[in-house]
Amino acid sequence: MRPVGKAKWPKKVDFAPLTGAGFASITMSKEHPLSNPERDFILDALRQNVRLDGREVDQFRPLNIAFGDEYGHVKLQLGKTNIVVRISAEVTKPHEDRPFDGLFNINLELSAMGSPAFENGRSSDLEANSTHILDSVIRHSNALDTESLCIIQGVSCWSIRADVHVLDYDGNLTDAACIAIMTALQHFRRPDAVVKEGQVIVYGVEDRVPVALNITHKPLSVTFQTFNDGTHIILDASRREELASEGELVIGINNAGDMCFLSKFSGAPVDALAIVNKTTVALERVKEINALVDKALKADLAQRSKQGMADESRAENDR
Amino acid sequence: MVGPTASISNLNRADGSASFKCPTTGYDVLGAVNAPIELPTRRDALKPEEATVEVFVKPGTTTAGVGERYIEGILRSVLGKVVLGREKGFPRRGVVITLAIVGGGNVERGDSYLTILPALLHTSLLALLSASVPLSMTFAATTLGVTISNEIIRDVSPRGAKAAASLHALAFSSKGHLLLNESQGRFDFEIWEAVREQALFICQGAAVPSADGDVAMDEEADRTHLDGFIRETVEDQIHSEYNWKVDSV
Repeated sequence: MRPVGKAKWPKKVDFAPLTGAGFASITMSKEHPLSNPERDFILDALRQNVRLDGREVDQFRPLNIAFGDEYGHVKLQLGKTNIVVRISAEVTKPHEDRPFDGLFNINLELSAMGSPAFENGRSSDLEANSTHILDSVIRHSNALDTESLCIIQGVSCWSIRADVHVLDYDGNLTDAACIAIMTALQHFRRPDAVVKEGQVIVYGVEDRVPVALNITHKPLSVTFQTFNDGTHIILDASRREELASEGELVIGINNAGDMCFLSKFSGAPVDALAIVNKTTVALERVKEINALVDKALKADLAQRSKQGMADESRAENDR
Repeated sequence: MVGPTASISNLNRADGSASFKCPTTGYDVLGAVNAPIELPTRRDALKPEEATVEVFVKPGTTTAGVGERYIEGILRSVLGKVVLGREKGFPRRGVVITLAIVGGGNVERGDSYLTILPALLHTSLLALLSASVPLSMTFAATTLGVTISNEIIRDVSPRGAKAAASLHALAFSSKGHLLLNESQGRFDFEIWEAVREQALFICQGAAVPSADGDVAMDEEADRTHLDGFIRETVEDQIHSEYNWKVDSV
């Protein structure tokens, strides 16, 4: 993904021009590197505007979103990249310097389940890079209103935690994780908490209808990979394409077109106009994906309410 | 009573994988096995003639802590005995087992980890089978709780574990040998013996092997005990994998 020899993120390094098969030894993690013919094949095909799986240049792989039994449990498939995100909430003490803010953390740990190249319990460049992008796009853009998580100023607040489990890694981890987290945040319901005479009472899910989180906007990251000295820029690269790429361009943007993140970490320089064009593409894609997410959420909600009604009527019959 | 559900080889990248869901305790565990694999950090293994078994447990909604390390130790010792690490291609390599708890409640800090142990053991076994790792035997495991009134309850939920006087996790090999015995709480030997008998029945059913080690096969009895459940899951998978062959005959 980022063909920078030994340099570790976030240290910025000067770009050294890479030509042809000269950067065959460069791999981003310890994924098995591509053979030279394989790399040449991918690059040659791109010169003719053909991708390995026959997709268009600006096309995402098929996206499939499913939900688990509990709230905030999302199973997402982007092509062969398979991710599970779980959201959890607990009551904690807010930070000293931000007494009005709740806590929100994104936790992404790569395990050997996703790919044999990932080592258990050891953080990799890919993990650090993805976490940074997710933090910037979702957390720092304040997609989840942390002030609404405050219960008593300086004493107690909600701590929301998103855990990302990578089950299968086949490229474009960041976008898949981003979509999954945003979906999970919209799907999640936290228990209702009420302050009575200075005491916090947290009601169980059975006692009171759980509360949805306050989402201010829905930003998503869109990752492009660049090839052939920045002349070919493709969206949602698969693992093989990522291995052959020179650099990545990540755009974080929401439905309204507000850009909250743009990064071009490394790799061959990309024309400024190309970046502007790709931003327009990113906006279109984000709108499409958000519509898809909304549809999935609505379908799940409808099913849940139907099930809830059925459960209620059954309880009546029992009595 | 609703039995567990399991499926094999549901992931693409890992060599072998399995998912296991226990409706009574609510745990949904996904396991992946990579074997044999180069372990760059374990070049100078303590036992160079054997494969190193590594187990990693990833909790659903928290970071792995002391409890996970503890349960990993138990799993490693059980699975290390079962995996034939001296087979060709295995010495000096690693058998990496990754278990992610993707559904159900969390084991809270201070709670007993024994409730989730059978789910983790079964997932690892099925994932190992899916990765075609040579094993000396299969096994089945269960956790039983003993209430204050000396009543034995099976498939203890985390809530039930809190109320129980003692907890016992036992695993039996396919030949009826006791592989694992982890107990917690106050109990005497008579209770433990009753627990062992009950656990053996849950894992093996009535089909106690005869002296020559043969197990009587009975289709009906298979479904009621865990050993039969493991066997059936693998049989189903093999059947679907060899469907083309069955159809062409």
